[in-house]
Amino acid sequence: MGFIFRILKATTLCITLLTCLAISNIAFSKEGVLMKTKASWLSEVKGWSPIGDPLLYNPKTIFQYMDGAAELYLAFNIRELTTIRFEKPDKPSIIVEMYEMASSEDAYGVFAFEQQDPDAAIGQGSEFGGGLLRFWKGRTFVTIFGEEPGQDIEAAILILGRRIADTIPETGNPPRILRYLPDTALSFSKKDAWFLRSHIHLNQRFFIARANILMLAPDVDAVLARYEIENGRVHSLLVCYPSSDKAKTALASFKNAYMPDAGTFSSVKTENGKWTSIDRTNNFVIVVFDAPDEFFAQSLIRATKDILIKEGL
Amino acid sequence: MKAIKTVTRRDFLKGTAGLFLTSTGLSAIPPKASAHAQTKVIVIRNADVVGPNSEIKHSLLQNMINEAVRILTDKNEAQAAWQSLFSKTDIVGIKTNVWHYLPTPKELEIAIQQKLVDLGIPATNIAIDDRGVLDNPIFKKASALINVRPVRTHHWSGVGSCLKNYIMFVRNPSAYHNEGCSDLGKIWTYPVVKGKTRLNILCALTPQFYGRGAHFFDRRYVWPYRGLIVGTDPVAVDTVGSELLRKKRIAHFGDDRALDVLPVHISVADKKYRLGVSDLSKIEIIKVGWRDEVLL
Repeated sequence: MGFIFRILKATTLCITLLTCLAISNIAFSKEGVLMKTKASWLSEVKGWSPIGDPLLYNPKTIFQYMDGAAELYLAFNIRELTTIRFEKPDKPSIIVEMYEMASSEDAYGVFAFEQQDPDAAIGQGSEFGGGLLRFWKGRTFVTIFGEEPGQDIEAAILILGRRIADTIPETGNPPRILRYLPDTALSFSKKDAWFLRSHIHLNQRFFIARANILMLAPDVDAVLARYEIENGRVHSLLVCYPSSDKAKTALASFKNAYMPDAGTFSSVKTENGKWTSIDRTNNFVIVVFDAPDEFFAQSLIRATKDILIKEGL
Repeated sequence: MKAIKTVTRRDFLKGTAGLFLTSTGLSAIPPKASAHAQTKVIVIRNADVVGPNSEIKHSLLQNMINEAVRILTDKNEAQAAWQSLFSKTDIVGIKTNVWHYLPTPKELEIAIQQKLVDLGIPATNIAIDDRGVLDNPIFKKASALINVRPVRTHHWSGVGSCLKNYIMFVRNPSAYHNEGCSDLGKIWTYPVVKGKTRLNILCALTPQFYGRGAHFFDRRYVWPYRGLIVGTDPVAVDTVGSELLRKKRIAHFGDDRALDVLPVHISVADKKYRLGVSDLSKIEIIKVGWRDEVLL
């Protein structure tokens, strides 16, 4: 009897716990980004109407919505995701996703990481192509996409995007660290730059090491820049740590794992005949990869340090 | 400070770690560990199989799959080729893919099913399914499987591959999404599928070579390749399919634009689970039919 009672008690406890989890994690919350924007955009647009209640996800439940894809948003400190579908009879649906991030830097980071299409002049930065609108404003990153292409649906997506952007009251700044990389001052020009907080995403743009040897983290700002030169590409990585001590540790970690053959030097010729150099100033670490020679690598680091000094860093 | 033991870019530059392996930490496994020394993959194309309005010509597609299987099995006739892979007593599950933006074409499912019926397998012993395979009575007692799906980029696994297509044979698919779904090969070792797959087919009629995000289908990156990639080795078929998408990205963008995730699961299926060959140099790619922009 006692045994049966214990099973019943355990089962009841499990059911209660699961129910609580389901309610707390999945249910629509009136405190969400939707309410902060007063949800005034939740109305018909060119015949497409919102269907059902918006769904809300937090950093723990976002995997239920997008599974492995959530890593990008988690790396950029997502706080909340709101999704809703718009439908029109006999037409493909429109899906809206609003991501509330911890900071405008994070919202910018998510947006810029995969940016590739022409500007749509919505929010503080946007792109529109292939039926997908992406933009950021303040701490919010938004995607709106149609399940099929078409003139009507794309017009509706753009109207919806403008409506949503208008209801987001705050604006914010892109990461300051983007300004610390030299651009056209030297004999090369910066082609692309990505703001990063995770070594997984760093590796997607430029593979360095499977392990997190530069100790990137949600409280670390990093920018990877790609420079086009006559015979190839040079990559420069500037990382801002919360403290000088952490920067020192990260520099040592990188040297040990990536360039143990450099010894006490800060540059090494790698197996492709190109040069990797690393340096630190206060809480910043600068690494240059695949420079054609050591002088080039050191010049790029020096130009970066000059900017940091000018900025009083 | 003690050095972190990890695979770095420099290992890749040295040639001691393939790019896929660098993401999995499996570079220590010597190349000889591959499951097979040589494997054959058929890439068959027909310029007319997809019409101007994306309609698929069933009879041409049927000819393509028959010819691919014939060449794959070194037989003179299609019937003999299919007979070398299946017997009348087989119970066959055709694992398809229903992702609504780019599903396995019905015409291809029907072409395969028809061929099995032609062999004398009762229609009641054949099932076509995707998300319900674990509860499908035919799949539960299947003696043979055919794995058929479109080849496309995939947000979680890099490439939507034959290996990936078996994720529906587990109750908890999300458990296999870590590190770019690197452990998908493990599913192929489970009794429900182990040793049963006789044919792997990547439908490359209209593949998707690039994409971003979890749910987004982008028609700009879909092109009419008008082909099928067919083999018995799922790893080799996926390796060829992945290479096709990579070559198309290079042709389209001018360089190999990074995917959300590298398709590490293909090389892991070779090196860790010994399911087939992921080294392109050890795969015999037999190209049949239309050659325009074949890429491979």
